[in-house]
Amino acid sequence: MATAPLTLVPGTLDLLVLRTLARGPLHGYAVATAIGERTGGELAVEDGALYQALHRLDRQGLVEAEWGPSANNRRARYYTLTADGRKRLREETAAWRRYARAVDAVLEGA
Amino acid sequence: MRELGRPFWYLRRRRKTVAAEVDEELQAHLEMRAEDLRAEGLSAEDARREALRRFGDLEATRAYCRRQDEATEGSRGRALAFADLGQDARIALRSLLRARGLTAVIVATVGLGIGATALTFAAVHATLLRPLPYPDSARLVRIYTDAPPNRFRFSVADYRALEEQQTVFDRVGGYTERPMSWSDGTSAERLRGRVVTWTYFDVLGLRPALGRNFTAEEGRPGAPPSVIVTDGFWRQRLGARPEAVGGPVRLDGTDHALVGVLPADVGPLEQGQEFFVAARWDVPPRKGPFLIITVARLREGVDRRAADAELRAINRRIFPLWRSSYQDERATWATMDLKTHVVGDVEATAALALAAVGLVWLIACANAGSLLVARVTARSRELAVRAALGASRARILRHLLVESALLALAASALGVAIAAAGLRLLVTQGAPYLSRVHEVGFGAALWGAVAALTLASAGLFALVPALHRSGGPVEDALRASTRSATASPAARRVRRLLVAGQFAIATPLLVAAALLLASLDRLARVDLGFDGRAVAGGSIALPAGQYADGAQVAAYWEELERRLAAIPGVEGVAFADGRPPAEVGNFNNFDLEDAPTPAGASQPVTPWVAVTPGYFRLLGLPLVEGRLFDAHDGTDPQVNTVIVDRAWAARFFPGRSAVGRRLKGGGCTECPWTTVVGVVGEVKYAGLDQPDRGTVYTPMVSRTIEGPVDPSAARFRFALVRAPDAPAAALGGVRQVVRAIDPSVPLTNAATMDELAARSLQRPRSLSRLVAAFAAVALVLSVVGIYGVMAFYVQQHAREIGIRVALGGRPRDVLRLVVAQGMAVVGSGVVVGLLAAAALARLMASLLFGVGATDPAAYAGVAALLLAVALAACAAPALRALALQPAVVLRAE
Repeated sequence: MATAPLTLVPGTLDLLVLRTLARGPLHGYAVATAIGERTGGELAVEDGALYQALHRLDRQGLVEAEWGPSANNRRARYYTLTADGRKRLREETAAWRRYARAVDAVLEGA
Repeated sequence: MRELGRPFWYLRRRRKTVAAEVDEELQAHLEMRAEDLRAEGLSAEDARREALRRFGDLEATRAYCRRQDEATEGSRGRALAFADLGQDARIALRSLLRARGLTAVIVATVGLGIGATALTFAAVHATLLRPLPYPDSARLVRIYTDAPPNRFRFSVADYRALEEQQTVFDRVGGYTERPMSWSDGTSAERLRGRVVTWTYFDVLGLRPALGRNFTAEEGRPGAPPSVIVTDGFWRQRLGARPEAVGGPVRLDGTDHALVGVLPADVGPLEQGQEFFVAARWDVPPRKGPFLIITVARLREGVDRRAADAELRAINRRIFPLWRSSYQDERATWATMDLKTHVVGDVEATAALALAAVGLVWLIACANAGSLLVARVTARSRELAVRAALGASRARILRHLLVESALLALAASALGVAIAAAGLRLLVTQGAPYLSRVHEVGFGAALWGAVAALTLASAGLFALVPALHRSGGPVEDALRASTRSATASPAARRVRRLLVAGQFAIATPLLVAAALLLASLDRLARVDLGFDGRAVAGGSIALPAGQYADGAQVAAYWEELERRLAAIPGVEGVAFADGRPPAEVGNFNNFDLEDAPTPAGASQPVTPWVAVTPGYFRLLGLPLVEGRLFDAHDGTDPQVNTVIVDRAWAARFFPGRSAVGRRLKGGGCTECPWTTVVGVVGEVKYAGLDQPDRGTVYTPMVSRTIEGPVDPSAARFRFALVRAPDAPAAALGGVRQVVRAIDPSVPLTNAATMDELAARSLQRPRSLSRLVAAFAAVALVLSVVGIYGVMAFYVQQHAREIGIRVALGGRPRDVLRLVVAQGMAVVGSGVVVGLLAAAALARLMASLLFGVGATDPAAYAGVAALLLAVALAACAAPALRALALQPAVVLRAE
């Protein structure tokens, strides 16, 4: 716990958001908490960057935004993965796995 | 359910809300974060600060998100609107296909209305509105002799004087019909053609496509004959050979030098003609005959009134020169637009046809509106549910608009198909009705009319339900029970108004149809004056080239008579230069010895028919008084005899005997007196719709006739045979005989008298059929309309009716109540319609025969028909409701 959270490798935040939304529509805050829980706080994700990513993905048509009531009856903006988003998620996940394996292979073999 | 709450124009306002949405989203995030932090034990102030810290750069994020969202809106906005429209269209299409009957009725009726109206408009536009297709055609006029009520053609004397003395026209020209036999050496055909002055094509601004125009030299008396032919003649008969120009064309047995070929595209005056022979008119010995239609091109900047004034002056100047053969001092020269001359008197017909189809379109739209109001009313629960689920009123309105647009588009497509079919029919069949029918086509006028009518249709049947819908809050419809919810008073009023409107439109249409059908009936029952079934014949014109000599002509007629009489089944043969019911040979003026026409006044004019002695017996005309012609009549130039018909005798010698009276024909003052020797029954010569104004018969003899009749008349005759058993077969025999005697002489216009009578009714018949068909559509639509309203009314009040009956109400009282509701609507429509009909029918007076425009029988009959049919349509649903068991109805609630 004493170690400082890791800074994100550029470009990975979009992948994390897409993966988080793959389980179902969530509003921005829920996405932030889900990522935080999953990583156990290992990754330092600023909430602002997260929202920028969400709106960017909306712009690209990978997610869709719609207003709806939140759990405690607040109006919140829910994001849903589109078909394009799902496709992008599969591609990016595969690319990330290959990347990670390649890096791993180098590190293991050293 | 995406975007359900967003009307399509809402997108324009989104730019403002983009910023607000981003603010709201980020604010909600910060609040949720702070709440969670407070739950972990932080103070409110610390929680707020920590939430902000974890967020990072709030302003940069806010700006970034706004930029992203605005870009999203920009790029996706239109796609979104189209996607929504597509979705609406899909939904609308599905719901329209579910209501297949309704869709079919609306598309079929409105489509018919659009197609017929657009086509009629295009025809009227091409015929009446568009200028003639000649260069600078506004300056083209026809000049005629105005002797009200008649408009006479010019004579050669008139034309010469005009040509020499006029100063207001660039050029004057003239033409006269002259069908001629064209022979290629083996067989002969009689073709339509004209004799034209050498200036004729110059006046109209037409140039031959091949060769050249006539020269002044070719128009001189005694010049060798020359001809200009149409493109069709050149292609079909001269093999489209360019070297044919300059060569001979044999017409009526004489070689004419071909100087030019017209372009394929000619004006309406040239339509249907094959050739134009250059006129080589000689200086005339007397004023008549009056055969020339004079056309002229006004000089640039010359006023029509100035031209008319000059024409009157010339006419006055030449009057004394011809006093011996022409005494009508009141007749003047006048001009009319050449277009009026070409188009003829079709304004009333065109206006009536346009009104009929336009009204059918209107009634179809009213019907569609009424059906759609009912549909919206019946669907108000569905629509209310959609509204409750978040659809805005705008969105629902849009759904209804898209439905209307789809209906209008489908109707428009059908309309174009109908217009295309109608156009083909018009071009092939319409030539006798519209002189410029070949100019009608799928042009801007037709497409423009289709587009305008489609838009108007969509608007008309979208507006009504839409206006009505937006009247009350949707929640009311949901909250209220099914019974009263669906019958909002506004909807009922709108529907009743529409149905009353339908009856108000249908009434004048039916009145017009009734008047036309009554006219047609009167026309068909006009007494032809003879037994048409037994008589058949055709016309023969001997080519002047081959039959130049009077003896040759006489020999031909004698031979023909002999051979015709020998045809099996033929009981009699006669010749005449006119034929009932609509082919009068000549009209002639005359002066009576007992009632001389004062100097300066117009002499009476009647049909003037030359006949052989057998003619009266052949047609079965009764001899009323005096005697018929015998072999001696017409043989002595000093003893002129005529026979008149009963109408002539009654007109000029009412209550007295006409036999023995004397007259001088054709304005001839020097001629010996002509004596009336007999009176026979009337026959129509000027058309079935013309009153009997008297006919004069002269003896036809087989030598060249001198006097008022055109000398070429000796070569022209109708040959008529009487064959009571098989007139059609006898006609075949006549054809054979004519061909056998001289193959270069064709028999034309061969027909039985019955066929001729039927043919002369074709025009009124097709007009009345057209109007009757549209009136029938209007009637059906109106009845469907009132039936729909009453069926709906009864359905809405089934419970009430059930209770009344259950409580012992008499069915008859209930029936009366229901029917009175409907008949009030129908009655008001019919009353308005009858008033409109009375106002409009006067416009069609010129199309009626034997029936007044305000014929009470027609109006009463139409009103009775409409009320009777409407009564049935109102009573049927009520009777059905009464037949139900009250208990069933009440339980169903």
